[in-house]
Amino acid sequence: MKTTERLDPRVLACIKKRGFTSLSDAQKQAIPLILDGKHIVLIAPTGTGKTESAMFPVFNGLLSLPGGGGFKALYITPLRSLNRDILSRMQWWCAELGLTVGVRHGDTPMGERRKQALSPPDLLITTPETFQALFMGKRLRQHLAHVKYVIVDEIHELAGSKRGAQLAVGLERLHVYAGEFQRIGLSATVGNPEDIAGYLCGARPCSIVQVPVAKQLELSVQYVGDDFRHQTEVLKKHLKCEGSTLIFVNTRVTAEALGHALFSHGDVEVHHGSLSREVRIDAEDRFKKGEIRTLICTSSMELGIDIGRVDHVIQFGSPREVARLVQRVGRAGHQLNTISRGTILATGFDDLLESLVIAKKARANEIERVTPPRHAADVLANQVAAIAVEYGEIERSKIREICERTSLYPDCGTLLDDVCRQMEDHRLIRIDGSRIITTARARRYLAGNLSMIHDERKVPIFDIVSRRTVGTLDESFVVGWVHTGVVFITKGQLWRVLEIADGRLTVEPAKKAIGELPSWEGEQIPVPFPVAQEAGMMRRTRDIAAYHPEPDGLSYAEGFLREMDRNRSLVPTDELITLENTEDGVVCNVCAGHKANEALGRVISILVSARYGTTVGLELDAYRMLLRLPFSIRAADIRDILLSLDPAHMPGILKLALKRTALFKWKLVQIAKKFGAIDPDADYERISIQRLLDFFDNTVVQQEAYRELLSEYMDIDTAAGIVSLVQSGKIRVELGPLSLIGAGGLLSSRDQIPPPTADSAVLATLKRRLSQDDVLLACMNCRDWKSRTVVSRVDDHPQCPKCGARLIAALKPYEEEQYALLKKPKKNAEERATEQRLMKNANIVLSSGKKAIIALSARGVGPENASRILATLTEDDAFYREILKAERTFVQTHRYWA
Amino acid sequence: MNLEFISEGPALVIEGEQRLLIVADLHFGIEADLAAHGLHFRSRSAGRLERLMRVIDLADPDALVLLGDIKHSIPSLTRQEYYEMPGILDALRARVPLIVFPGNHDIGIERFVREEELRPRDGALVDGVAYLHGHMNPAPSLFGNLMVIGHHHPLISLRDEVGYAMQAPAYIRADIEPGEHGVPVPPGSPGKTRVLFMPAFNELAGYDIVKILKDPFSPLSRSMNADRAEIILADGTLIGPVSALNLDEDD
Repeated sequence: MKTTERLDPRVLACIKKRGFTSLSDAQKQAIPLILDGKHIVLIAPTGTGKTESAMFPVFNGLLSLPGGGGFKALYITPLRSLNRDILSRMQWWCAELGLTVGVRHGDTPMGERRKQALSPPDLLITTPETFQALFMGKRLRQHLAHVKYVIVDEIHELAGSKRGAQLAVGLERLHVYAGEFQRIGLSATVGNPEDIAGYLCGARPCSIVQVPVAKQLELSVQYVGDDFRHQTEVLKKHLKCEGSTLIFVNTRVTAEALGHALFSHGDVEVHHGSLSREVRIDAEDRFKKGEIRTLICTSSMELGIDIGRVDHVIQFGSPREVARLVQRVGRAGHQLNTISRGTILATGFDDLLESLVIAKKARANEIERVTPPRHAADVLANQVAAIAVEYGEIERSKIREICERTSLYPDCGTLLDDVCRQMEDHRLIRIDGSRIITTARARRYLAGNLSMIHDERKVPIFDIVSRRTVGTLDESFVVGWVHTGVVFITKGQLWRVLEIADGRLTVEPAKKAIGELPSWEGEQIPVPFPVAQEAGMMRRTRDIAAYHPEPDGLSYAEGFLREMDRNRSLVPTDELITLENTEDGVVCNVCAGHKANEALGRVISILVSARYGTTVGLELDAYRMLLRLPFSIRAADIRDILLSLDPAHMPGILKLALKRTALFKWKLVQIAKKFGAIDPDADYERISIQRLLDFFDNTVVQQEAYRELLSEYMDIDTAAGIVSLVQSGKIRVELGPLSLIGAGGLLSSRDQIPPPTADSAVLATLKRRLSQDDVLLACMNCRDWKSRTVVSRVDDHPQCPKCGARLIAALKPYEEEQYALLKKPKKNAEERATEQRLMKNANIVLSSGKKAIIALSARGVGPENASRILATLTEDDAFYREILKAERTFVQTHRYWA
Repeated sequence: MNLEFISEGPALVIEGEQRLLIVADLHFGIEADLAAHGLHFRSRSAGRLERLMRVIDLADPDALVLLGDIKHSIPSLTRQEYYEMPGILDALRARVPLIVFPGNHDIGIERFVREEELRPRDGALVDGVAYLHGHMNPAPSLFGNLMVIGHHHPLISLRDEVGYAMQAPAYIRADIEPGEHGVPVPPGSPGKTRVLFMPAFNELAGYDIVKILKDPFSPLSRSMNADRAEIILADGTLIGPVSALNLDEDD
């Protein structure tokens, strides 16, 4: 039977009335499956009528159900703006078919919500978060019992995140009331459709319908250089000859900069998440109506909001991921069976090679996988609290059943026990034997934690010098890491924290800091390992022409590599790691992508910090890492570490490395909030919150921070694989001076890996103090020359300018009187003893030079102590440790305290 | 007189005729206050007491000096304190005689402390050293001696060469200089008065030393010579004057 013949005549009539003459491929495949009652994931590019494919048969089903009673279909999208768009499309259909439709999300007014509670619409369009809220009201829960269909739109956007995990549990909570309902997921192209199906349905059978995207893409890569003025000139040319154009950029800052530069061009608007809703909707509307021809946007426009006809998509800079490119370019030709045209404007060497690789992979339909998070403990905590509030009191085994019906929490008994115990510690639930009981706090918690998105308070940064606010930082970051004396970077400048008080961070500009901190604003999209690898391969084969770049790009890339050769720099590739010495430390060129480099860089850093007792500053991107190090540690040392590293130990080392980093503490605070330990509006200023975080040692909160960081922020398996290849000789390691490639690139991630003990900080402070100490040099030969200076200015072997002798005593300033006494012709016993002491002092300086002077300037260290310290023959840090020991003894004596 | 620094505390042993173990600012019951400010944690009193018992075992003192702010809640007792305090003090008492100098948080402490254990709020001499919590003017008779005080919870930030900053509890040693806003030094006091500011024993309490020196919040901290004040880590490592922290990196 033809697909259309199976549809209700009323639905068919509407399809005709709406002007659809034929069904798309997607629709032809999907509609019969949905009519058959199958769960389905429909994977198709934007603009192939995905929504309609799902909704025609759903309308069909709704028409056969009795009216009223409750919600019959839920349509869930990740964004409110998408909800509004879907609502405006559904209203026409529902009106024609005599069905009711409503939208409910954060912006929905109270009156509308009350109306929905009293007379629920047949079709409710909502977000995952508001879906969660539906379980909190008694009447709404009754309405949920009628649900027969759940459509999850843009499911690829949800499946890989904690939001998605929360939704998956939510759907199983719905199952308790509604029984089996039909599940329909709508997705953009992904590398692993079966995992998306599992995410949506758990163990239930699920059909997958996939409409390939590649044949509809027409992609080109154009090199535009790194000069912003030239870049905008190229853009202007494009805009002149094209119709309506979307320009995608990777950061809001770039969006604003381009918007400013193209403003004079007219008919251009900027669209990104920091702009107010009104401004965004206005821009969308005007673009749709054709009043403006160009929209500059960030990922805010990736999802399927209908903005009318798009002739051309320009991606400014590498899209970094294949999926992102496909999704963005898919916005062009937003009509059935039309070709989507996209152009990537590449801005540098890495950017160009990466763009060429991504374009090639897009044509070959090699899209990244989406990995749903498994066993996310904070999502579980959130859902336990929600279920406790929903039921008041419930058997733990019931909660476990609900969670284990999803694909994300297989065999979660132990995890659930740990999570419940932790929640009880934070007074979020009570445990009574096998039962979980809600608390007064749980409902309050839920009101503030409906969403798994970390809606962070922003802490303003106030510069005390210019007396103005220079930016903001995420609160969890401030709470977890920042304290007085810390130096961090934001807006390209260094700042030192003076005070955290009254909800703001007071800072002053810092002149220099070797280690810089991340600022976490606008986290970068990571470049996946396969993309970075293939870019590395291109550097090796140098067969750039095979990727069909335009002539400008080809000659630039080839010229760049020739320049490397001319400088006798080795070109790092997928089979060659180069370690380059720079003034700041060592650059490790590794083509492994962001996540693997995050893992590898941190492992190397902790090993360096442990071996040399120093903090390591780490900055990295997909192709290189800069280890900021004291000058004594060089590339050869890093090579030694790389070669002696056991890949099997890397996960353990990485966990150690993470524990005291900014990234880890930031995560810990976010997760602790989801466990109810920290309220969204907590007042942190009263206590040392960083020590509070130690309370999470060996808890499920800490475990979750590790799980999330190791699975979502870094890729330890790939990093360990690279180290194995290094050791088997398949990847070579070479040393050299800084090259063009090593110096290039914007290092997009920053952190510091501190050493295991405070030793280095104490030693650094001691060295600073001693070098600044005043010292009185006095000649014990002619006894007629003395000079007051500071230790750092003293020569290695000071000499008396009067008599040329090297018999110089290094005295503390208050010993000046004693030197004066030496001139007395007749000395008493005490004075003779002093004379002897000064002679001994000078003899030590004579034999040990500056080192003796440093020891003698320490507190409570006289000639006896000094010669004991010098007799240990220790050097560098060990020498200073001996001084610390002597001072520690001194501090315990009455002499220091009297 | 001899001193021992016990970093596991932080705690201090001062040995003269007697061997005294001194801890400051235990703040038992702080969790109830944290909860009121949005931080929800189970009481950690048991762990804190256990740590204190370990320190007592390590030091094996003749008496334990509790230098104020033994409990946390003001102005009135919380349920947590009402239940926990008697047990905590009995456990300590069973091990070692107590000497208690009440602090500003110790309102209602009389209920739990025996009369013979209690010392005046404005301090007293024990074995030639003056002890007091440090939130008010010291008794006039204490001047000219080393004063050991709590109340300030000093914490230090140290930076290493790469720039990583870490925080640690620390002691401050400072000299008292009579001044307009500071403590009334009685005329004719013998010699100079040195003050030792103890770090808090409570693991959550901490107040940056730079901040204490910049905005002193007690009579004694207002009277100290901040430029010459010296910092000592919990294990007795001498850090030196605040200037050694060298916050301006111009070197």
